[in-house]
Amino acid sequence: MSPGDLDKALCGLVFPTDENVLVGLDRADDAGVYQISEELALIQTVDFFTPIVDDPYWFGQIAAANALSDVYAMGGVPKTAMNLVAFPAKEMELTVLRQIIQGGIDKLKEAGVVLLGGHSIEDREIKYGLSVTGIVHPDKILTKGNIRIGDCLVLTKPLGFGIINTAVKAAMVSTELTEKVTKLMATLNREAAEIMVNFDISGCTDITGFGLLGHLAEMVCGSGVGARIDFGEVPVIEKALDFADMGMIPTVAYENREFRREMITIADTVPRAVQDVLFDPQTSGGLLIAVSGADAGNLMAALHGVGIHESAIIGVVVEEPAERIMVA
Amino acid sequence: MKEIDARGLACPEPVLRTKVILQESDTQNIQVVVDNGASQQNVQRFLESQGFQTQLEQKGTDFVIIGTSNGTFVESVPVITRSEQECSKIMVMCAADTMGSGDDELGRKLMVNCIRTLKEMGDDLWQLIFVNGGVKLTIDESDVLEDLKQLEQAGLTILVCGTCLDHFNLLEKKQVGVTTNMLDIVTAMQLSDKVITL
Repeated sequence: MSPGDLDKALCGLVFPTDENVLVGLDRADDAGVYQISEELALIQTVDFFTPIVDDPYWFGQIAAANALSDVYAMGGVPKTAMNLVAFPAKEMELTVLRQIIQGGIDKLKEAGVVLLGGHSIEDREIKYGLSVTGIVHPDKILTKGNIRIGDCLVLTKPLGFGIINTAVKAAMVSTELTEKVTKLMATLNREAAEIMVNFDISGCTDITGFGLLGHLAEMVCGSGVGARIDFGEVPVIEKALDFADMGMIPTVAYENREFRREMITIADTVPRAVQDVLFDPQTSGGLLIAVSGADAGNLMAALHGVGIHESAIIGVVVEEPAERIMVA
Repeated sequence: MKEIDARGLACPEPVLRTKVILQESDTQNIQVVVDNGASQQNVQRFLESQGFQTQLEQKGTDFVIIGTSNGTFVESVPVITRSEQECSKIMVMCAADTMGSGDDELGRKLMVNCIRTLKEMGDDLWQLIFVNGGVKLTIDESDVLEDLKQLEQAGLTILVCGTCLDHFNLLEKKQVGVTTNMLDIVTAMQLSDKVITL
C-alpha cells in the first residue's frame, strides 16, 4: 500500500504493548523487537508480495532475501522463518509453486536460517513471502531513531530496481541487464550487515517500497535531524535513468514523492530522472547505514574489500534544517 | 491525429500503447487520455523523449495529453542490440553434450574436441548457443568450461537456454555465457548468415 493510505488506515488505532517491547508500532522501523532477557531480544518481521520476476525460482529467492533484510537492518541475526503462500492451485502447475518454495529455501539456507512451517491459501494471484525471526543483543539494536549529526550515509546496493522492472514489463530490457538486476535483488544484505557492526554506526534501514528518500525520511524524522544527499554519489543501475526519461516509472514512485513532498527539497540542478530514482520503490534493496564521519572511510574500504563494489557514501546527517532532506 | 484511450490501465501499459502507435505509424499528432497522475506524467515523458512537444488538459478526473512532433526526430526506443561484425556471421547451435549417434562415450569426446576446435573459425564465429543437453557443457563439471570462458573473453557471444538449465536444475551451476530465452535464440538465428547445429 502507499505510505499515505497506510497512515490513513491506521491513524488513531491503539495497539497494546508491554514493557518488554523495545521497538514497536509507535514509530516507523524495519521490524519489531521484544526483549526476552538482559542478553537477548527477538526481532520479528514479515513481508510478502506478488511476483516481480518471471522465473519462479528467482522470485522465491528474492522474496526470501527481501524478508530477511529487515532483520539485518535491525542489526540482528535471522534464525527461523515461516512461509506465506497464496497460489492458484487449480489453474497453475504445482511445479511453479515448488520452484518458488525451492528458491526461498535455498536463500534461507545461504543465510543459515531454518524454515519451521508456513501457511498457504488458494488465491487467483500468486503471492509469496516469509515471516522471519532473528535475535539481537538488546544494546546492539539498530533503529531509525538514533542517527547523529555528522554521520555519513552509506548505501550498499544501487537504486533503480522498480524502474528496470517496469521496463522489463515493456520488453525494453536486455537479457543481460534483467539477469543482473534479478541477481542484485536476490543478493542477501547479510555480508554488508556483518561488516557494518564492526564500525561506529548509529542506525540502519533497508531500502524497499518507499524508495531511498522515503526510508531516509523516516530516519531523519525519528532522530530529529536533517540530511543532505549528494545526488552525484548515489549509485544507480545502468540504463535506469534512460528508462525513467522514457516514462518507465512505477506509480508507487510518484506516490512516494507526493507523500514526502513537504519535507524534501531538491535543487533544480538534479535531473528529473535522478529525482525519480531517489523515490523509486526497491524490492530487496540495499542497506542505508549511518556511520560516523571518522569511520566512514574504513566502512567503505571493508565493503569494497568483500566485493560490495557499488556501495557508496551518498550524503551526510546535519543539524538544520531538522526533519528535512536536501538533495543537491 | 491518433487517439488512445488508456483510462483504467496501470503503468507501464499507457506508455506501451503509445509506443506501439508511434512504431506502427508515422503520426506527428497524438492524443492520449489517462485517468491518473502517474500515467499522465509517464506518457508525457515518453512522448517528450521521442521528440514530441506535449500539452496537458484536465477533463474532470481524466488527463488529456496532446503530443505534436515536427517529424525530424530520430527513433530512440531502445532495441536490444547485438554486436555487428563485418565478416560472415556463423551461429553454432549446440543441442546436446554429445556429437552424433552411435556411442555416447565417443560422442562426448567428439563434442569436447569440436568445441575446442571452434576457434579455428576465427572472426566468422558469431554466436554459440547451448540448448537442451548442450547446456551441460556450460557448468562446473564441463570439460570445455575453460575453453568456453576463453572464447567468451575473446568477445564471442555465448547464449545458454534458461528453460533448459532450469529443466536440468542447473541454473545455479552455469559458469559461462548469458542465460537466454527462445525469442533471443530465434532472433539470433534470423540475424546470422549461417546456422550450424551440432
